[in-house]
Amino acid sequence: MIIGLDVGSRAAKAAYYTDSYEYRIVSSHSWQDLIDRDGIIVSTGYFRKKVPHELNVTEITTAIYGVRHFLKEDVDAIVDIGGQDTKMIDMRRNDFRMNDKCSSGTGTFLEYIANYFALDVSELQNFHFRAKTSAKINSTCSVFAQSEVVSRLVEGYSKEEIINGIHHAFARRIAQMLPGNARMIALIGGTAKNKGVVDAFEKELGVKVLVPPDPQVVNAVGAVKYYLATERDG
Amino acid sequence: MLGITALVPAEVIYACRENAVDLNNFVPFSEFQPDDKLCAWSAIWRELILRKEVEVDKLVVVAGGDCYNALVDGEKIELSGIPTLYFIYSFNRDIRLMEENLDSLVEFAGGIKNEKAFGEIADLKQRAMEIDSLRTEGKLSSIKAFEIEISGSDLMGSPDKYGKAIEALEEEDVDFDYRVAILGIPPIYKGFHEFLQSIGLHVAYDEMPFEFIRHSGRNLGEVAESYVNYTFAGNIWRRMEFVEKQLKERNIDAIIHFQQFSCHHKLEDIILRERFADREGYPYITIEADLPGSTPEQARLRLEAFAERLAGV
Repeated sequence: MIIGLDVGSRAAKAAYYTDSYEYRIVSSHSWQDLIDRDGIIVSTGYFRKKVPHELNVTEITTAIYGVRHFLKEDVDAIVDIGGQDTKMIDMRRNDFRMNDKCSSGTGTFLEYIANYFALDVSELQNFHFRAKTSAKINSTCSVFAQSEVVSRLVEGYSKEEIINGIHHAFARRIAQMLPGNARMIALIGGTAKNKGVVDAFEKELGVKVLVPPDPQVVNAVGAVKYYLATERDG
Repeated sequence: MLGITALVPAEVIYACRENAVDLNNFVPFSEFQPDDKLCAWSAIWRELILRKEVEVDKLVVVAGGDCYNALVDGEKIELSGIPTLYFIYSFNRDIRLMEENLDSLVEFAGGIKNEKAFGEIADLKQRAMEIDSLRTEGKLSSIKAFEIEISGSDLMGSPDKYGKAIEALEEEDVDFDYRVAILGIPPIYKGFHEFLQSIGLHVAYDEMPFEFIRHSGRNLGEVAESYVNYTFAGNIWRRMEFVEKQLKERNIDAIIHFQQFSCHHKLEDIILRERFADREGYPYITIEADLPGSTPEQARLRLEAFAERLAGV
């Protein structure tokens, strides 16, 4: 068995491969629960060197291998929205950019907004699609955005319209990282499960957004695929 | 002891029989977190002096061309009673401005008393340039070369000590995968070059440390003619021409642009990226730092991923 182990800042994900894949996701602090079986561990994520492994590789590389496993289309860019950072991989130029200086454009920002409305982050998409219009939110700084949210509520916008506006502001923030000629992108990471974010991406960026069936485990699967491509055959 | 910040012609200070200490050398090892700061480099050396953790009799602040934040930090030190001189580089290679600044420096340091120091230090810097060649040829680790080149600013507080440090180096075979250039401010992080070496990246061109050893002269006039060409203080077009020549001569595979939070040089990133990444096709990564410390995990991740991209895995 090959175990792709992706231990990030918020969640730990494992992909177990023998002749098919099985996945598990736990909190980062419980990553040990994921290695309860024997296998060759290929680690990735911020804690890739802190967990047991036979091989470690960055999540930039595993994202490329993982997306190629899940999607048959050749995307122009991969956007990996993590808890602590967002990575944009330009597939045409073999280049990447990262936003890791603040929560702007990361999963933490959406969690912050969900907490403000006393919602679970998984509920945001339902509110997004119930909006009749979108409240204009300019800031993706958590502090300034909350100030804007309060202003919009005072102006009479509904919770749905504000959450819709938040998703659009989030998409615009990440759009700054994308190469100008991107036409089709893959969105991965737990935030990609939020269909409101995907909708905002397509509308704001004018690009086709593909989301793998299990966007949160793409890097764990990518770690397995990386091992198969470079070690077993090499 | 005469404190200097960034690149001040140390040969002039030694020719005046003063000793120089580059205050920036203390910064990467400091754990002090200043409240009142833009750039951590100048804010930390300011506090080290004001708190008397580093003692200097006089201070020469580079306050134009190379570093602008240091101007106000220098004024705060001057207010505390330490005699301070503001050294200004010419943006357009104005030799008269350089000569005026050097004359002020000579006067500030008490007048030239040992003319021979110019030639002795020029010889030392020539040997440091040979060290730089060894690193470029892969016959010396970039860790050891960096130590010699970055110390070219103050000659380790003593030309004799600097000469012995150069003498102590021996050629070695350096194992690496790619030859990279570091452009911009030297990393404020401890162990940055060590980390690069651990992931197979050999720094074959270290822009600013190379400037620290590249300039010298056997008299005050020659010093002026050399330092007026200090690329990091002049306009960026001339700097980029010089850098591009170095990249080609040294067969550089990729570029790391190191920048510092709140430094005006940070705004140059897009110009450098357009020239070297978009036009010349060099793989290019930007790393930005703020406070000193060990190289953080985010920066390590970026650099490891950069190395993986270079390998095309």
